[in-house]
Amino acid sequence: MNIIFKEIGRTKISAVALAMLMSISSCKESFLEAVPETNISDVSAFDTPARVLSQVNGIYGSVKNGNFLGGRYPIYNDIRAEEFVNRTTNNVTGYATYQGNQDPGDTYIGNFWTQGYLTINRINLFLEGLAANSSKVDATLATQYSGEVKFIRALTYFSLVQIFAKPYVLDKAGPGLPLRLKGEVSTANSELKRSTVAEVYDQILKDLNEAEAALPDDYSTPLLRTTRAHKNTAIALKTRVLLAKGDFAGVITEGNKIVSATAPFKSSTRVPHALQADVVSVFRAPYTSTESILSFPMADTNSPGTQNQLGYYFNMGNLEYYLNNSGSGILASTKWPASDDRRSKMISQDPKIGFYPTKFSNVSPFLDYVPNIRYAEVLLNVAEAEAEAGSTARAQALLEAVRNRSDASYKFGTLDKAGLIDAILLERRIELLAEGFRSNDVLRRGQPLNSFGAGALIQPTAANYIYGIPLTEQQTNPGL
Amino acid sequence: MRYYLFIFCLFCSGLVLAQDKSITGTIKANDDGSVLPGVSILVKGTTTGTTSNADGTYQINAGANATLVYSFVGMHTKEIVVGNLSVIDVSLMSNLQELSEVVVTGYAVQKRTEFTGSASTIKGKGISERPVQSFGQGLTGQAAGVNITQPNGLLNNPPVIRVRGLSSLTLSSFPLVVVDGIPITADNVSDNAATNNPLGDINPADIESIDILKDAASSAIYGSRAAAGVLLITTKRGKTGNAKVSIDSWAGISNAVRIPEVLNAQQYMDHKNGAIANALALNPNAVGAANRDSQNRSFLPSYNADGTMIDTDWADFIYRTAFSQNHNVSLTGGSEKTSYYFSAGLTDQDGFLKANSFQRRSARLNMDHKATKWLRLSFNINYNNSMNKAPASGSNPGGAFGSSGLGRLAMAQIPNLPPYNEDGSYNLENNTIGRKNNLLPAQFSNPATLIDLDKNTSENNRLISNLGAEFTLMPGLTFKTTYSWDRRNTEEIRFWNPYNGDGFSYQGDAYNRFQRADNWNWINTLAYNKSFGKHNVGVVLGTDAQKRRTTNWGAQRQGLADYFFTDFQGNFGTNLAAGNGITQVSYLAYLGSVSYNYSGKYFLSANYRRDGNSALSEDNRWGNFGGVSAGWTISEEDFFKSSNLNDVVSSLRLKASWGRVGNGNVSNAYGSYSTFGSSLYGAAPTLAFNQAGNKDLKWETSEQTNIGLDVSFLNDRITLEANYYNKNIDNLILDVPQPPSKGIPENRILANVGSMYNRGVELGITAVPVNKGNFSWTTNLNFATNKNMVTSLVNDNTPILTNTSGLEATNITKVGYSAAQIYGVVTSGVNPANGRRIFNRKDGTQVQYMHLGGANAWTTLDGKAASSASNQQQILGNTLPTWFGGFNNTLKYGNFDLGLNFTFSGGNYIYNGSRAGLLDQRVWNNSVEVLNAWKTEGQQTNIPKAIYGDNISNGSAFLISENVEKGDFLRLQTATLGYRFPASAFGKTGITGLRIYASVNNAFLWTKYSGVDPEISTNGDSNLASGIERNSIPQARAFTFGLNLSF
Repeated sequence: MNIIFKEIGRTKISAVALAMLMSISSCKESFLEAVPETNISDVSAFDTPARVLSQVNGIYGSVKNGNFLGGRYPIYNDIRAEEFVNRTTNNVTGYATYQGNQDPGDTYIGNFWTQGYLTINRINLFLEGLAANSSKVDATLATQYSGEVKFIRALTYFSLVQIFAKPYVLDKAGPGLPLRLKGEVSTANSELKRSTVAEVYDQILKDLNEAEAALPDDYSTPLLRTTRAHKNTAIALKTRVLLAKGDFAGVITEGNKIVSATAPFKSSTRVPHALQADVVSVFRAPYTSTESILSFPMADTNSPGTQNQLGYYFNMGNLEYYLNNSGSGILASTKWPASDDRRSKMISQDPKIGFYPTKFSNVSPFLDYVPNIRYAEVLLNVAEAEAEAGSTARAQALLEAVRNRSDASYKFGTLDKAGLIDAILLERRIELLAEGFRSNDVLRRGQPLNSFGAGALIQPTAANYIYGIPLTEQQTNPGL
Repeated sequence: MRYYLFIFCLFCSGLVLAQDKSITGTIKANDDGSVLPGVSILVKGTTTGTTSNADGTYQINAGANATLVYSFVGMHTKEIVVGNLSVIDVSLMSNLQELSEVVVTGYAVQKRTEFTGSASTIKGKGISERPVQSFGQGLTGQAAGVNITQPNGLLNNPPVIRVRGLSSLTLSSFPLVVVDGIPITADNVSDNAATNNPLGDINPADIESIDILKDAASSAIYGSRAAAGVLLITTKRGKTGNAKVSIDSWAGISNAVRIPEVLNAQQYMDHKNGAIANALALNPNAVGAANRDSQNRSFLPSYNADGTMIDTDWADFIYRTAFSQNHNVSLTGGSEKTSYYFSAGLTDQDGFLKANSFQRRSARLNMDHKATKWLRLSFNINYNNSMNKAPASGSNPGGAFGSSGLGRLAMAQIPNLPPYNEDGSYNLENNTIGRKNNLLPAQFSNPATLIDLDKNTSENNRLISNLGAEFTLMPGLTFKTTYSWDRRNTEEIRFWNPYNGDGFSYQGDAYNRFQRADNWNWINTLAYNKSFGKHNVGVVLGTDAQKRRTTNWGAQRQGLADYFFTDFQGNFGTNLAAGNGITQVSYLAYLGSVSYNYSGKYFLSANYRRDGNSALSEDNRWGNFGGVSAGWTISEEDFFKSSNLNDVVSSLRLKASWGRVGNGNVSNAYGSYSTFGSSLYGAAPTLAFNQAGNKDLKWETSEQTNIGLDVSFLNDRITLEANYYNKNIDNLILDVPQPPSKGIPENRILANVGSMYNRGVELGITAVPVNKGNFSWTTNLNFATNKNMVTSLVNDNTPILTNTSGLEATNITKVGYSAAQIYGVVTSGVNPANGRRIFNRKDGTQVQYMHLGGANAWTTLDGKAASSASNQQQILGNTLPTWFGGFNNTLKYGNFDLGLNFTFSGGNYIYNGSRAGLLDQRVWNNSVEVLNAWKTEGQQTNIPKAIYGDNISNGSAFLISENVEKGDFLRLQTATLGYRFPASAFGKTGITGLRIYASVNNAFLWTKYSGVDPEISTNGDSNLASGIERNSIPQARAFTFGLNLSF
């Protein structure tokens, strides 16, 4: 008996020892290997042409983020000025900015910077990766892709420099933005000083010129030509940048590449941009007319995100802001008669709250494409440059093209140079209402900002004329 | 040893019969009147002794002059002089936690007299009688050095538990929780408004004891995850003897306490209209012309049908008197070979917040079986269903600023508006409550729709099971293998109604998520224990492997096709994927420990563990941890025994330990990888850089030294345990902040930078001041100090700033200070000359603020334009308590028992952010404090002139020192009065014991803190944003009545 037990004991010991050894050896490294299953490793991000294209789309997706150009950026540019009245006193939806009380610690203003630079870093990494993986992509496509992302880098830097630096016309030698042109993946290179405003503009124009050369003439579908950059897109953006720079001759030169000399104004090269007969149709599905040079697409599965949607702020999504129908508000202007389609067809009224724009008619799930560059803007850019430094006759013709499309009977009469410029600027307020132009249009001309929320003019000398560099950057970048 | 003694006793007892008489009796536990088998009965000064039988009876022979000594594990030893008695019934009092004789130390059980680390043992009994959802909530004040905070009154909101202070900055500081051997996760698993603490799946009634390992030498055996201490939960097991049935039930009510006092309708209208007049004088656009009447009033009364003015007490509408009940039945018993514990539990608790509830149904079977002389099997299986339900309360981490948070609405909703219209429909306007006669719109949702129509649930179905086998290979050598499996399926349902609240802009939103958490653990240990004369040696070798895999999937549906539908299963216009994810973490460890003692006087032990963690980079995923400890039981020395001291001091021991443990609770399971995430641009698939990984990521480690003294006096009637600890944490894994301009996703990279320490002393005194006749009083006082200090970060100039709910900058962690200091602008009251708040700039100069002042909003005190003080933040106070403890008393008189448990804590500051909101001059309702707002020149007050829309002067836009308060408090946590029916009352019913009790939880609170409760943590378990109160619901006061019945 005793012997048998001992036998069993020994067997057990052996079995146990074996089991322990098994548990040790079978585990080892493979047991501790846990790799991400829902993300793709950086080492394989350029492995296939499809992934490279996905990265290009990812960069568009990055700049169109609801915290940036796909939502809050245009919204904040509109609510800072005189056109809108706040309804909800909610700091999460821009109340402090509306009141001219914005602070460098403001999360949402910080997001412009963060999302903007995230996009820039993604572009820088992409350009470096594209160079390192040239064998994996067709050369023509590689050129096109580099043009597309450089276009977006220019758009991003321009969007940021307008709000975080003093306007070019006021202080071009003043502090602009840190110019990041190399990809960052580590803790190194935190320190970087701000380049001057002029240096930032130089980089923007350099990128746009290179993009113009590299971009395709057109895409295969209206959707692609509206949502991805082609040559005309880069040219159109140049008219905006040069206008902000006060380079009126430059605006005219670039503008002439895509605007005919006389009415009817259209682009005779590449994509045939032109104003659409019905202004409302530009803002309705499928959003891809030739007037929309660049718009950011939205879909059920790719919406702007909570409290970032145009229809949430300016329409019945939540009607955070309604139109100022008094004093300085454009809605109160006698130069915008009821016969204008933009007034009769794109302004509505809530009996308890007031007037609001229906340009962005979608409420949840907020699928309106967010326009960034429209042909109407290009025409007004060229008109302003012509009025300032070129042909006032062409300027007025361009202005009338925009106005009479929506109000065929409207007559401007004879305007002197100053009157013409005023009329063009007023037309921008009407035509581009709620599209995110208002405060940048005031700032680029170095004028005081008429803040309805502050109940006062914010002078160009005031700290709150522009946004402060976000606190998170101040705390981590000693080079500023 | 004990075994030989027993044999020896038996041998002796046969020799000394002679002149002694026979004494019989029954031994019972004083606590519950249950019979105690196995109690040792010894004639003092002799070796004569016996043990009690399975029914608690005993028989012993002793002379009239003899003294009988009754002793039993976990009970106070009792001595009785025989005299002329022949029947001696004894009731033994249970030892308080510190006195229990064994410590579960992970992979082994040690006698407390041989244990040289630092650990506290808490009995499960007291916890199961409290109206809590998880056992952690019941540990408050029970163990020295363990600080527990209940974030607020939301049911099953995970408590914040800190063992010897903050143990990390980025990683979890929550202790490792091990239930019967298997480590289980402890974070809130819900992603909707219903908090779901997975520890709530453990029925507190099933818990036998909780051992808290505090020093590193003890916890090092759990190497990889022990940096924050270890909570070892041991569930009840069967006892040999006749089957015993216990029924434990309680029922009770709870209410919200310390609700802020706000303006009623008339006060509100008067105050706000006054503020509007002040605002219009400064800015004619402050309130639109359409939003005020001819007298510039915006807030006007509305009336009920009966003509009375509408005056809604929103706190009264949102909170309620809630009913809760809890029932538990257990059956235990066993033969020599097989023992079992079976229990079934039901708890059904309603929160004082309407629509908040917690239900748990659970069953457990624990069995032990001695299959052969060399094989023991143990088997546990536990199945639970827990259902958490809550409306949006704003009280879950991240929810503080929701405009539908009921905690906030109870304070800030406009009082002159009703929840319902006269026809019974909801009073609504767009996404807010309807304005009625007010001319300005409201800002917040109508609470009625949120309570009635929204749904947030998180339901766990969980199986926790263990199968263990212990082989005795030869005397002293055992091999033990335990496989544990913990499977949690969580279903989360969220429905936001389309009428008002978070679902309004989506026209209804339904989001369901299913979570499957699979967690297994296999431990193999080989243990050898042997005595060679006076040398006692123990060795343990083992391996421990664990894998956790959590997969989530879900969908979100928006845009109700018809408002008839109120469920995910209805028809919606938009269907989105949501809440998807896969996470896997695995751990592998090899461990060993050696312990040695000489003659029960000198103790040495050492342990070592090599740990691998999949969440760290491939090159750095293995870490070496371990500890050593030593003890000297002076009272066992001959010189001590022969000295006079021995009469007073019954035992005296010194101990010291050192150990090094790791913190592998990396929140990101894949932090070492750089990745690209996939999304969409319109309909086109995208890839975008979304994580900058760190290939050098390695273990965060904690080194701890512990020096302790255990001393007991007067035959263990008073015991004292004192410990000093010094815990240094290095290679802190931090989200190193990157300049946003670098474009690193999330602006952070995980890296090992930084260090900090925790130092402190712990004192625990347990005493039986009175034990006479029918009356006894046992008391335990525990007290601990903690000094936390951050000694290095990325660099001295890069502090870590932390937000509350992503919006309000509230905390800073900086070298030279304890973690999570409150960070804000210092204010110096209100300028009596003009009613403006005075702010101090960092350079010491003062500026004042006038809302709507345009270019003159900020001025120096003599009126010159100045720049904003909004960026003049300074450190305002530490948020971690520097001292805390508990004072627990049990008094018994006859069949009555009274328990009084106090907890106290202090040395910390709290940011009362709710007060900032309560003083905000927007449309929100205000605290009655605003009635003291500045009105006339020269007026001395702490409330600035009210200007409508002002969110700066009172700290709503950025944090100001005006709203920072001390957090010291003393609380009567529980007061319980019980009565045990005498055995004679039961006759032949078969009932063996019945006790009834009444209890108050959170009975009294003494504090100068003006917020809802000094025990508050709006940011939950956050290391970096503690000490913040922001719009959370208050704590509950609960009254319960219960009974313990046994057969």
